[in-house]
Amino acid sequence: MTATDSAAAAALQQALAAENSAVYGYGVAGAHLTGARRAAAVRNWVGHQNARDALTAMLAARGAQPVAAAAVYELPFSVHSAAAAVALVTLLEDRLSAAYLGLVGLDDPALRAFGARAVRAAALRAATWRRGTLAFPGLDVPAPRAPGPASQGSGSPAPSGHAHGKPTPSHPG
Amino acid sequence: MARDATRRRVLTAAAAALPLIAAGCKGIAALGTPPKPAPDVTVATDAIAVETQLIARYGDVLAANPGLATALRPLLAQHHEHLARLHARLIVPVGGQPLPTPRATPRPTGQVPGTQAAALGYLRDAEDAASDALLTHLATAPPSLAQLLASISASEATHALILGTAARHS
Repeated sequence: MTATDSAAAAALQQALAAENSAVYGYGVAGAHLTGARRAAAVRNWVGHQNARDALTAMLAARGAQPVAAAAVYELPFSVHSAAAAVALVTLLEDRLSAAYLGLVGLDDPALRAFGARAVRAAALRAATWRRGTLAFPGLDVPAPRAPGPASQGSGSPAPSGHAHGKPTPSHPG
Repeated sequence: MARDATRRRVLTAAAAALPLIAAGCKGIAALGTPPKPAPDVTVATDAIAVETQLIARYGDVLAANPGLATALRPLLAQHHEHLARLHARLIVPVGGQPLPTPRATPRPTGQVPGTQAAALGYLRDAEDAASDALLTHLATAPPSLAQLLASISASEATHALILGTAARHS
């Protein structure tokens, strides 16, 4: 395997890992959503399963062993409400943008184009959830934060990177 | 025969090197016309042209529809961020040649639709076009610039989405 091949395989693995988390996360989030938002979550959940399968096939075609999904993922914050569910799927889409942007940094023009389409698709889903836009999807990914009581998720992203509800994993033990 | 060919190659190489050595003594001016801008400079300036034109269109729409200011300001602010990040990719050498000016695109005048919904639709179409235009050089740009272009292109696509939704509700 050449250096170019292994860089491509590594970037595809990153994208696959992000899709695996998205499939898991949408499964969790969907349970807390109703109506149109639940329908959108289900649609995206299926979409992420398809993307996961496509990436798995791309890796297999390159002779690489696709990363396996974990049985359980640690969530960045607890998800017990619709607002937290929306915050979770928004975060997952932001992270997908970042993972697919890795493919755009490769030499292969076909993988670049594939990555750029996927970044755009993830950014569009994220914008639908947050009802706002980011200046640099995938490049400047906002830190995960659980929705606070006053947080509405409207308008464009508040550049409030302050310590509010920082989603660091809970203290071990 | 093979030896002849090798010798000829060595001589040719030496002859080619001579002007460079001579030029080295006379300073950079002796190298003649300045080199063409590097491909990534062209890519960045083209992207700057796309952003500049979008910002101008926002200006036109806002001049005709001041009531849209609240809705458009966050999107316009992101375009200024795009422009700043693209400008940061261009390093102007001290005393160097001026950077190539963005390719002049005819500025549409008098095209801003009158109603708010139509004006939002006009900007949505401009965002969509810009999103595609930014990917023109995706295959040839250096990796990190390609990533910046893809990110900005995705941002424009989300702007188009938000503008389209706003147009339907206005």
